Order: sequence, then C-alpha cells, then structure tokens
Amino acid sequence: MAVSAVHLESDAFLVCMNHALSTEKEEVMGLCIGEVETTRIVHIHSVIILRRSDKRKDRVEISPEQLSAASTEAERLADMTGRPMRVVGWYHSHPHITVWPSHVDVRTQAMYQMLDQCFVGLIFSCFIEDKNTKTGRVLYTGFQSVQAQKGSEYERVEIPVHVVPREAIGKVCLESAVELPRILCQEEQDTYRKIHSLAHLDAVTKIHNGSVFTKNLCSQMSAVSGPLLQWLEDRLEQNQQSIVELRQEKERLQRELAAI
Amino acid sequence: MAASISGYTFSSVCYHSANSNSDHEGFLLGDVRQEETVSISDTQISTAESVQVVEIHNHDPCAKLFSFYDYAGKLNEENLNSILKDRRKNVIGWYRFRRNTQQQMSFREQIIHKQLTELLGVPDLVFLLFSFISTANSSTHALEYVLFRPHHSRYNQRITLTIPNLGNTSQQEYKVSSVPNTSINYTQVIKEHGAEFFDKDGVMKDIRTIYQVYSALQDKLQAVCGEVEQSERVKENIQEDVNKLKQQIALRKRKTAEEERRLLEAQNADSHPTPEENTEPSDASPLSRIAFQTPSAPERPSTSPNPPSYSDLLAQGDSLPSSSSPTTSAALLPRPQAVGSPGHPMPGPLGMGLGLTASSNPVTTPSTPYLGNGDGSSSDSLDRQAAGQEDDDDEEDEDEDEDEDSSEYENLVSEAGHLPMVSTSGLAQGRPAALGPDGDARGSQAT
Repeated sequence: MAVSAVHLESDAFLVCMNHALSTEKEEVMGLCIGEVETTRIVHIHSVIILRRSDKRKDRVEISPEQLSAASTEAERLADMTGRPMRVVGWYHSHPHITVWPSHVDVRTQAMYQMLDQCFVGLIFSCFIEDKNTKTGRVLYTGFQSVQAQKGSEYERVEIPVHVVPREAIGKVCLESAVELPRILCQEEQDTYRKIHSLAHLDAVTKIHNGSVFTKNLCSQMSAVSGPLLQWLEDRLEQNQQSIVELRQEKERLQRELAAI
Repeated sequence: MAASISGYTFSSVCYHSANSNSDHEGFLLGDVRQEETVSISDTQISTAESVQVVEIHNHDPCAKLFSFYDYAGKLNEENLNSILKDRRKNVIGWYRFRRNTQQQMSFREQIIHKQLTELLGVPDLVFLLFSFISTANSSTHALEYVLFRPHHSRYNQRITLTIPNLGNTSQQEYKVSSVPNTSINYTQVIKEHGAEFFDKDGVMKDIRTIYQVYSALQDKLQAVCGEVEQSERVKENIQEDVNKLKQQIALRKRKTAEEERRLLEAQNADSHPTPEENTEPSDASPLSRIAFQTPSAPERPSTSPNPPSYSDLLAQGDSLPSSSSPTTSAALLPRPQAVGSPGHPMPGPLGMGLGLTASSNPVTTPSTPYLGNGDGSSSDSLDRQAAGQEDDDDEEDEDEDEDEDSSEYENLVSEAGHLPMVSTSGLAQGRPAALGPDGDARGSQAT
C-alpha cells in the first residue's frame, strides 16, 4: 500500500467527532486536509465538513465541485501555515453501524486512489450501544483499497491511525466546527426554496411547509448551534483560567531563573 | 434513570484524553432533574412515572492525576476546592479515561467516589468510565464508555448514556402537493384568515423570523469562536514561554552542578597531589563524580519541558517506556476481538490479560476479526458486510489471544451471551491477580 500510517492531529480529531456525533440518523462526511510525508505517513491537520448531496443510505460520495472547493481551502491553509497542504483523504460516519467500510465505501475509496494513491479514508462509528452492559462505543478506523487481482473486487486494507496530541485547538479546526450549523441551514433553505417554488400549493400547505422549515431550523439550533456555543464558552473560560495559571507559573520560573 | 451528555462535551473529553499519554480524569458538571412521564393504561386513568435524568452539561478536566487525592486514595479537600472553585456546586459526577482496561470501577476509584459523595454532598454522584482499546496494528480504535451510578456500596450499577443529536434531519415532511379540494368556502376561509401568515411578498413571516434568530445565533457563534481562537493562541504562546524557561533553568542547574563538581575535583587534586596532575575529569575519583549527581539533575522525560515529539515516539517503537502512548507500542497487544464482538457466539471466554502479559502473545494479525457491530443494534449491519478477510482471521485469533487470566470483557461480547449480567456484587470476580488492588494496569499513573 502506498500509505504507511495516518497521523491525525487531535484538534482535527475533535472536529470529526463533533461532526459524527451531530446526527444518528444519517451518515455525515468531510474531507481531510494535510500533507503526506516522505515516510508515507499522511498527516492530517484539519478537516472540512461537507454537504451530502445524495442522502440515500450508504451513498457517501464527494462531488467534483466539493473536491475543487476543498482544494481551494487547502491552498488557503497552505498560505496560512506556510506548509504544503492539500486534500489527503476523506472521513465519514457510520451511526449505529459497524465501523468497517461497506463495499460501496471501498469502491469509492478505490476511485479516489486512482487520482491520488495516498488518499486515505477514515470512518467513525458512533451511537453504538450494548443494551446488556449499558456500554456505549465510538470507534474509528483508517483504510485504503486494493485490488487483489486485476479485474477482481476491491478489498479493504487497514491503515494504522494515530491521534497526535495537540494542546491548543487550531484556527482552521475551530472554523470548521462552526461551519456545521451554517451548512445545515443552507441545506434546509435549499430544500425549502424548491418546495416554495411549486406554484399549485394552497395556503394551508404553504403554512404547513413554512412551519416545517421553522421546526427544522429550531431543531438545528437546539441540537447543534446551542451546544456548540455552550462548548465554545466553556472552552473560553477554561483557556482564560489556564492563561492566568500559566502566567503565574511563568513569573515563578522567571524568578527562579534569576535566582540561579 | 437516564443520563445525557452533549456531543460536544463528549468529543471534548475524547480530545483531552487523546492529548494525555497517561490516564485522564476530571469532573462532570450538570444537573439532575426529576422528569414526570404520564402514561395512561387500560387499568388506570393515569400513572405518573418519575424518572431521574442526569444531564451532563460540561466537564472540568484535571491537569494531572493525583491532583485531589493521594496514592492511598485519600481526598484532599483543599486541592479539590482549588480545582473546582465555584463550580463545586454543579458537580454531579466525575470521569476517568483509561487505556486497555476493564469496564469496572477500580478499588481506588471506588474509594475516591465514596469520599466525593460525602464531601460534595451528592449522594447520587455518577462515574463515567472511558476505556480505550486498539487493534494490534492500530488501524482501528474503540472508545467505550459506561456511566456508573454506585448505590449503597454497589459499584456496578450502570445507566444508559444518550447523546442527544439532530436525529432525523429528514426533509420529507415538506408537502409537495395539496390535498385536492374543490370547496369554494374552504378556499375562501383559508385565504382570508390565512393571509395573516404571509407578508406582502407572499413569503411566510415565520420563515423570516426564524431565519433572523438563526442568523443572530450564527453571528454569535462566529464571535465567540474568534475569542476562543485568540485565547488558544495566547495560551499556546505562554505555554511555550514556560517550556523555554524550564529548559533554561534545567540547563543552568546542570551547568552549575558541573562547575561545582569540577571545582571540587580540582580541590581534591590540590589536597592530594599526584604525579599525573591534570584537571581532566576522567581521572578524578569516581566517588566524587557519583557524589555530585545532584538532585537537580534534568527532570524525568515525562515532565521535561520538551517531551519527545510524537513522531519520534512512533519511530522508536518497542523501546518506549510504558508511560508513553500505548497505541504506538506493538508489545501491548490489546485484544482485537474487543473492538466489537463477532456476529456469532464465541467458543470460549474472550479477552486476554491486560497489557502486562501481552508479551506472551507476539502474534500480530493483519486484519481484525470484527463481524457485526457488537450489539445487534441495527439490521443494517447485515447489509454492510465489510469488505476484507475477517472471516478467515477470526478463527485463528480466538485461540491465540486467550490468556489464563482472561478477565471478563463482558461488555464487549454482547450477543454471544457470555455476559454475566450487570452484577451488583461490588468488585467483580476474576480481577487478574497480577494487578494491584486498584486494578490499574497502567503504571503511568505515577508520573
């Protein structure tokens, strides 16, 4: 295989988890931005949340437009960090489902590998619960595809995944996290616009549809925007406290250094 | 009893845990409410059921282990207060993250839990245990979580923890056609009174209103996000300064220690003149050298200001000390089967000893025997036969990974029916004798 391992920065891991846990009724997906090192290790620095145009079950595919937009984002990241960044992989979630990629996933991965043999796939499995022991489970795995023989079906190849500690959350990851509510709202607006343009609906139906839009947006705000905002506020408070403590430690160390 | 935690809080705990190379712990802040559900049955008019709901709002991570208790598990109230400050009144539980471990409260955790309930005055304190396990080749990792609610010295009572989420974002509730109706009265009444809902452009007023709410919320999100980002950068910078200072101090101390040693050796040479009088340290008495291994020698790697970078650790592989990340060391062979159970009953007890005895299982498997999703939750699991060679590898793995001390990873072999049900007998039987009383496999607690 072309890739020896995946190193996923912990703040990118955080965004993937946030995204995967945002809904248990459908699969979510996104793209991974980073670089491939000479040791064939794929280093993922951040992720981009994507809209799923085809929401049918198990149809997790990325459109060319999305790939192109992601590449632009990668360039922006490259400019910001001064390192060569590009789209290096994709991730998606398997709520209530085994973490292993399905045949469709493996085929999709194989297709991406044709364009870039170092492209990797990550899958997050969540909302798994063992009712007997009341144990919940979240799993994640890395994989690529390989064709055993020419013309035969593609098979999964396991790729080691390691989460690289990163004490501070990067700017790009924070921005990605905050994109989720925006994407959800956009999807809702697009759907509503299509419905609204239907001319033959009577007033009651229009009121009904408007209410559905309102209901869905409320749902998004209470399930996603609200908790996200709360987490951000808590994080800010934690950081502020850490900063105070770190400043004290810094002064103490400076005094100690001066004394030696 | 039910419990919930937001996906963001949950991910945050995972994030903090991923950042720590040893166990990680912290407090759970939130609320416990009584919810009444009214149900009507044929036998009674209405029965009100009262359910206690534990809502976890937030978590307060501890910077290091043993920050509020000592090695004997005795709580230090002063430290506890300085950690919690005014959040103390919101504490409804605490959590612990461990790697390659059993899904049970360790003895020390039980002791701490008991003291916490008394000290904080929360009789129904909960304990959330996260355990992390990986396959041998580190391609697949599982984070398992159990919420314990110890009651009257019974430390194995568990509550289901749900993560509320968007659920069904289905947009199928929109109606694409109206119910046909030729009644003129109907059309007239609806038009007349329904006009209230629409503005002059024919757009429903509610749409605009709710969009305003969403938009304002999103703006606030962006603003707070910006503040968080700034605080992250400030924190990063000060941390860097602190690390540099620590380095400088260590360097300075080393230098002074060496100078002192040289000085003393020079003095020794003066008082005991020898023909080969030279100031080369290598000729000095070995005793003096030993005596001057000063206590202020550079700190242990675990607390050094420049811990080895992660890529260095990975490159070193098996030569790592046990306190570093377990997923990098091939010597620690977590049980592959634990990453979800197979879809068929297993012939024998699953699981193997914890990392301590891992060296007896040097065989690494190329792919993981994982069939099904471990708990028969969704019938989709049958449709989603994973591509791969799990079927073949499953058989060989079972035999190789069994151990004499197979502790019961009951929670992982769900459908196999080998689970002893939630036992209320305090400390579970079969705790591997190799472990100390508190059952913590990872010696890295002593950092």
